Formats: sequence, structure tokens, C-alpha cells
Amino acid sequence: MEFFIQQLINGLAVGGIYALIALGYTMVYGVLKLINFAHGDLFTLGAYLGFTFLVSCGLTGAVGVGPAVVICVILVMGFSALAGHILERAAYRPLRKSGRLSAVVSALGASIFLQNAVMLIWGAKGLAYPADLLPRVVVSIAGQPVPLIRVVVFVSSLAVMVGLYLFINRTRMGMAIRASAIDQGAAKLMGIDVRRVIAVVFMIGPALGGLAGVMVGACYGQITFTMGQLYGLKAFTAAIIGGIGNIPGAMLGGILLGVVEAFGAAYISVAWKDAIAFFVLILILVIRPTGILPERVAEKL
Amino acid sequence: MKKLVVFGFLLGLIAVGPAVFAAEAFAADKAPFKIGVMAPVTGSWASEGQDMVNIVKLLAEEVNNSGGAGGRQIIIEVGDDGGDPRTAALAAQRLISAGVTAVVGTYGSAVTEAAQDIYADDGVLQIATGSTSIRLTEKNLPLFFRTCPRDDEQGRVLADHVQRLGFKTAALVHDNSSYAKGLAEEVKAILDQAGLQIPFYDAITPGDRDYTATLTKIKTVNPDIIIFTGYYPEAGMLLRQKKEMAWDVPLIGGDATNNLALTDIAGKEAAAGFYFISPPGPGDLTDEMSLNFLAEYRRRFNTLPSSVWSIMAGDAFKVLARAAADLEEPTAENIAAYLHGDLKDFVGFTGPIAFDQKGDREGDVYRLYQVDQNGVFILAP
Repeated sequence: MEFFIQQLINGLAVGGIYALIALGYTMVYGVLKLINFAHGDLFTLGAYLGFTFLVSCGLTGAVGVGPAVVICVILVMGFSALAGHILERAAYRPLRKSGRLSAVVSALGASIFLQNAVMLIWGAKGLAYPADLLPRVVVSIAGQPVPLIRVVVFVSSLAVMVGLYLFINRTRMGMAIRASAIDQGAAKLMGIDVRRVIAVVFMIGPALGGLAGVMVGACYGQITFTMGQLYGLKAFTAAIIGGIGNIPGAMLGGILLGVVEAFGAAYISVAWKDAIAFFVLILILVIRPTGILPERVAEKL
Repeated sequence: MKKLVVFGFLLGLIAVGPAVFAAEAFAADKAPFKIGVMAPVTGSWASEGQDMVNIVKLLAEEVNNSGGAGGRQIIIEVGDDGGDPRTAALAAQRLISAGVTAVVGTYGSAVTEAAQDIYADDGVLQIATGSTSIRLTEKNLPLFFRTCPRDDEQGRVLADHVQRLGFKTAALVHDNSSYAKGLAEEVKAILDQAGLQIPFYDAITPGDRDYTATLTKIKTVNPDIIIFTGYYPEAGMLLRQKKEMAWDVPLIGGDATNNLALTDIAGKEAAAGFYFISPPGPGDLTDEMSLNFLAEYRRRFNTLPSSVWSIMAGDAFKVLARAAADLEEPTAENIAAYLHGDLKDFVGFTGPIAFDQKGDREGDVYRLYQVDQNGVFILAP
């Protein structure tokens, strides 16, 4: 039982980060029906920006740990949002009128561009958030010692997700986003500025991705310019499993993927962890082809 | 006055001209010798690859400034394999079409393996520098050599140390790369025979960030020591997450963990006490030639090479430069014959270098290291 709980906690910590990244995929897909392949690299960008603010600029030394982390997170989310906005203007908006395939190719191109830009700016060698950057506190959950940082990461990603859910469902902008997701043409006729909606979506998604990047850096230390690929792939899968386009679905999918991975490693085989996780996911898709919480696509028909 | 200047200029030409022409004629006597460096300049092993290229270029510059290898200028071509077997095949093709006679590199065994046959088919000599997987030299490719030792040697030394330090049960972890898996199998065979318990034997996925599920699982079998045969990024994260679990089981690694980045990733506190075996690192080279070279390297790049594997690339280059100097016609076949038979008493940075008939390096190079409280790699007793 102790083992089970420990592994569940391990899985939740990983899943929380997958979920946070998955939100970026799912939001963009919901409105634009476009898979933003560059999202994983915006996540990497966030991790590197976080390193620059926290470590290179010596923020923790200047204002203390707590404020430094808050300032850093705000800055990183701001810059990631800016990067997402530029990306949308440069790589996606000009292609809005052309076919779906051109946009996918443009997304792949943007991904390669961002990855190489990160490599050229920060260098090909990996960087490491210093282990003593944040105080090392261990808390006890259900009798299991868990580093505080992991709890913070999980709780704050949950909080962000709930906040986003409320934003989408309770605000005017959220309503505009939902309307544009269902039918852009009709939304335009109702006086919604769809271009602005798309711009907002392309700022919120990357901001969450950047936040996840800082969390991974703070939690695991090592950051590399290729890290976005694996995380991007996992989060993308999580978004599909949850039902792409659906925000609670992305949260559920991400957390599920993390937990399935941890249990696969724990009870079957460590080496087969990914294979097991993806097998379970295929199984879910066979049973529910539109994901666990499908977006109401059928209404359009 | 103007005339005088022109006259003086002409006089100068007459005086200097022949010297210039003579020098050119002398250099033109011997065709330049082209060496390729195949290295992971990008990718997750970029730190190794960039050091390799820096070292070889610096050495080539030194040779060229002192008149070349037997009068031949050495030209270096770099091929980036990205630490990836698929990219390696492209890099190999690129180096071959650039017309190299010999290639120095590369680091990862799987990457070398992908390029090996391509070089063999085109008659290019290859000296691998960090690829310790056994089967690379068991294929009996006549033009393949390596300056690094082999995994069976490493496996033997690693297993010896685990027994000598008195551990009775061990968890064995690799990462499914051909290097790490080969080494793990080697160690397992020896430890099984010696009667040690191995209650955990499995592979992690390199590139992952979270190994807590694996560590939690290993903890249930409660081993005396964890043996990890993979690379430094994963070793660093295993150490860091093991520390976060407040679990103080010792960890021992193979030679791919010998990189200063390990301490950065793990943090000093978590890295302290970590054992690994490796050929002597850059900081342990105390002979005059190495010290001079490392001083020059530091002057140029403001830092030391971060591991011994890039120094092995330096040794591979030195061997090639020596062959080019000694041989009348340094073709790949002639160099191979020279390395198999005639290269004796040659001293490289990492000690004497000679090759056996398979192309493996002869002699014993491994030492046991431990990371101290300050994150420094020291020779363990």
C-alpha cells in the first residue's frame, strides 16, 4: 500500500506537468483546429528563460527566494506569451486562408526554428538549475516523504488549470473563445473579434507552456534544448486522450498519462513504461475514439 | 624618389620571391592530409562533441604551424552526428564526399556502429574515441580502431570494484543504448558468477526527467548498491532524485558518467559519494606534454575539456598525425597496416598507445573515482 501511494504521488507529479502543457495544445486546437507543434519548444523556451531570470540574473540573491520565484514566473509567462503571439503573427496568421496542411508544415517549421534558436542562444550543452536554488523541504503525505517542490508544482498547476477553466466558462472573453471554437463564422456575425480571440488563445497557451518549463527546471534541474520534444509528444497525447479541444479533458488526460506511466514502471517493467502507457492510451482511444471527454464536435453536423 | 621606391620594391620582390615560391613548392610537394572529425556537436552529448572538435582543431593547428605532418598540411573536416545514429549516417556520407582519408570519432557506440560500415565500404579509416561497445571491433573491419577501452574490460573492472568494496546485493540499471546494455550484461554475468544477488535488472528511458517511479521500485528490493551503466545526464538526475527521497544507497557508474556536468545536474550534495570507473580524466594527466596542451586549451577556450573522451579524440588525432609523418603514402590501408604493426612506444595523453589485430587499444586504463563533498572527482582508494 505504501508503495502504491508513493507511486501514485510520483505519477501525479509528472502528470500535473503533462496536463499543463496539454492545455496549450488543446486550447489552440479548440479554436483553430490546428495542432501547434511548436508548443513543446515554447515550453523549452520557458525553461531557459526561467534559468536566465533565476540563475543568470541572480534574482534569488537579490530579492530572496519567494519573491524571486513569483517575479520569475510572471516574467517567464509574459515572455512566453509574447513569443506565442509573435509565432501566431509570423507563422500562422498569414496561412489562415490556405489549407490545413500548410499550417501544419508551418507549425513544424516553427518548432525546428525555436529549437535551434534556443540552442544557438543558450548553447548546445544542457544547463542545470542549481540544486540549492530553492530550499530543500520535505513534507509528509499519507506517511510518505515528498519534496515540497513537487507538491508546489502539482498544486500550482491544478490551481492554474482551475483558474483557466473558470476564465473560459465565466468571463466574456471565455465565452468569446468558446463561441469561436464552435463556429468561427457565426461568432464573427455575432460581433466577436475572432482575430483577437485567436491572439489571446495564442498567448495563454504558450504562457502555460512556459510555466511548465520553469516547473520542470526547478523540479528536475537539468534542462536541454531538445527537452520539448518528449514532453511535447506526451502532452499532445494527453490532450488527445482527454478529448482534444476540451480543457478539463486535457487535465484529466495529462494526469492519467503520468499515473499510468508510474504504475507501468512500478508493477510491470521500467523499460516498458512508455510502451505500456501508450498501449493503455490506444485502448482508451479504441473504446472512445474522441477521447474521454470529447469536445462537442457532433453539434456542428 | 618614386623610381627609387619602385626599384626598392622590385629588389624586395627578387629577394623574397624565391623564398615564397620555394616554400610553396615544398608544401605542394606533398598533398594535404584530410582528417574528418565525427562528433556530437549538437544533441544531448554536445558537451563531449564540442570538446572533441576543439581539441582536434587545436592539435591540428599546432602540427600545421610546425610544418605539418612530415611536410603535409592537415585539413580538418567536421561532421556533426548529433549523437544520433540516423544523423551519423549523413555525417559519414558528408565526410566521405569531402575526401577524408581517416576519421576521428565518435562518442556513442550506437552512433559509431551506424557509421562504421559506411566508412568501411568507402575505404576510410576510422578511430573511434568514446565507443566502448564490444561488438564494434568483433566485426573484424580492417580499417577500424579505437583509442578507448572496451566494455568487457570495463565490465570486469566495474564488477571487481563492486566486490572489493564489499557489496552483497546490487540493483543493475541501464538505458537500453547499445553501450549501457552491453556493459550491464557484462557486469551481470561476472557478478552472477561471483554469487552476488541482483534483485533488480531493468532499463530506464534516457531523456526522461522523472525517475522517481524507478527509484521507488528499486527501493523495495533494498540493494546494497545501485549500478548504473548509462550516461551522465541520467546519472545526475538519478542522484538528485535519490537525494530528494532521502535514500542514501551508494551509486556506482561506468565511464560515461565521467563528465563534470554530472555535479551540476545532481547538485554537490547529491553527487557526493558517487563512485564511477573511468580512464584518467583531464585533471589527472600530469605528464608535461598533457599539462602544456591543457594549459594552451585553457588559454584558448577558458575552460578544461569536461571529460576524458574528448582527450581520447586528441590521442586518435596524434596517432594519425604520426602515421602521416612516418608514411610515404598515408592511404587508409597503409595507415591501418602501420597502426596494426609498426606503432610501438607511442605515448599519447592517456598513456602508451598500441593497437591489437582487432583495432582495440592494448593495456589497462581504468581507475576508480569518487565524487567528494565539493563535487570534485578524486581517485578513490
